[in-house]
Amino acid sequence: MADFFSWVDKPLDGMAFLNMVIGAVIVLAFILGVVTYTIYFERKVIGWMQWRIGPNRVGPLGLLQSIADVLKLLIKEDIVPAKADRNIFLIAPILAFFPSFMVLAVIPFSATHIFTAASNVGVLYYIALSAMTIIGVVLGGWASNNKYSLIGGMRSAAQMISYEVPLAMSMLGVILLAGSLNLVKIVEAQQAFPYVWYVVPQILGFIIFIISATAELNRTPFDLPEAESELVAGYFTEYSGFRFAFYMLAEYVYVFAMSALGTTMYFGGWSGPFLPGWLWFAIKVSCFIFFFFWVRATMPRIRTDQLLTFAWKVLIPLSVVNLVATAVLKYLLK
Amino acid sequence: MFSGLAITGQTVAFFVIALFVIACGVMLLSMKKVIYMALSIGGVFIGCAAVYLMLEAEFLAFIQVLLYAGAITIMMLFAIMLTKHDEIEKPEPITAHPVWAAIGAAGFGLVILWVVKFSGIKWPQATPDSPFQGQDNVKLIGEALFNQYVIPFELVSVVLIVALVGAITLANKEEKN
Repeated sequence: MADFFSWVDKPLDGMAFLNMVIGAVIVLAFILGVVTYTIYFERKVIGWMQWRIGPNRVGPLGLLQSIADVLKLLIKEDIVPAKADRNIFLIAPILAFFPSFMVLAVIPFSATHIFTAASNVGVLYYIALSAMTIIGVVLGGWASNNKYSLIGGMRSAAQMISYEVPLAMSMLGVILLAGSLNLVKIVEAQQAFPYVWYVVPQILGFIIFIISATAELNRTPFDLPEAESELVAGYFTEYSGFRFAFYMLAEYVYVFAMSALGTTMYFGGWSGPFLPGWLWFAIKVSCFIFFFFWVRATMPRIRTDQLLTFAWKVLIPLSVVNLVATAVLKYLLK
Repeated sequence: MFSGLAITGQTVAFFVIALFVIACGVMLLSMKKVIYMALSIGGVFIGCAAVYLMLEAEFLAFIQVLLYAGAITIMMLFAIMLTKHDEIEKPEPITAHPVWAAIGAAGFGLVILWVVKFSGIKWPQATPDSPFQGQDNVKLIGEALFNQYVIPFELVSVVLIVALVGAITLANKEEKN
């Protein structure tokens, strides 16, 4: 079974292509399930933190709430504003969604990664594709022909471009230690000699990573692109029905993907004692996701100018310091 | 013309990608709205990245996606959105210009076809004993850049920094006026 789905070293023929399609469909179905319950989990956790109950009406414990919400969005009318740029308005949510799903191709979910690629440029692949979501967000904001949408789109582009730099530079420290851009090799390097997860030697890098990741995901306290008290709903103000669902889906797939990336880079991915690899991976990713929700329930939103100044004047210099220190230490301790 | 071309997954993928790149290029030229042009040039960049991937140059391919499809396309979108001009190009008066352009392009295409297929030049082919096969090209590029070509590499980064500072200085001056 595992051999049947490992297309990595095979020539690209009909069978390998079919396997890729089957693998992609399975990962897509899996990720839709994860996203559905991530949303449920978020509402429950934030309800619990705010001394509320959270969703509890649809199904036992409200477990079917997200499914009901998605169903509602899918059967809703797909409204296109009269003054909007129709074509771009229609394709922008798709442009925002497809890279979010594509980045999952390099995440090693378990020790025998059957559905994902052990690409030798895994980290670069993630960074490069996640940059393309910004195009969908900016175009959606522009095409809506609405001042709130436009401001939301502009803000989100400025924010995501700014925070991509410290995000990538913080990960360079890990890449230096592991000596590879391959996510599988990074996990294996953490299992090898000093037997320590990279969160310990790279604690500064990890702090920069988690702050930039929160900003990159547009989550509170950095959710300025969709700040509801200022911008109604930001770049997707005019969207309804399944196109709105696409934007939300992209956002939550990125929450999962970013958590998976953080797990792989800093917490040893699937490695851990006693339990099977996929379970360790699931536990670590859940902790990351819980952390993002916890931050959302705790922190107030910060101002745009503070946000961008923070990225360029604090995080980027710190990540340069981290990179240089890592390089020097690695050279000295060799 | 295509005699001796085996139909494998790679050739099918190549033709699909080539068709995509050409379609995006034609859209770039024929679209009337500037923002559609920016979007189609993004498609051209992504198609080129796919071609690099087929040539097993993964590092180059994803750098292409990161810089061109990501950063440069967004910069163009920003420039289009922030500057105020009529978004639609005016229809041009009909001249003989497109005819000459078509003849020139067709001639250039024929020259390229001749050079590739019929000129008798021996193009290097990948054989099982070609050097660097199956090696990590990230590592090879890194070693080449930081050992053999370290001085040109540093010079290029100095040039880029100068350009960056120059752009900021120019923008600042205009703001003061």
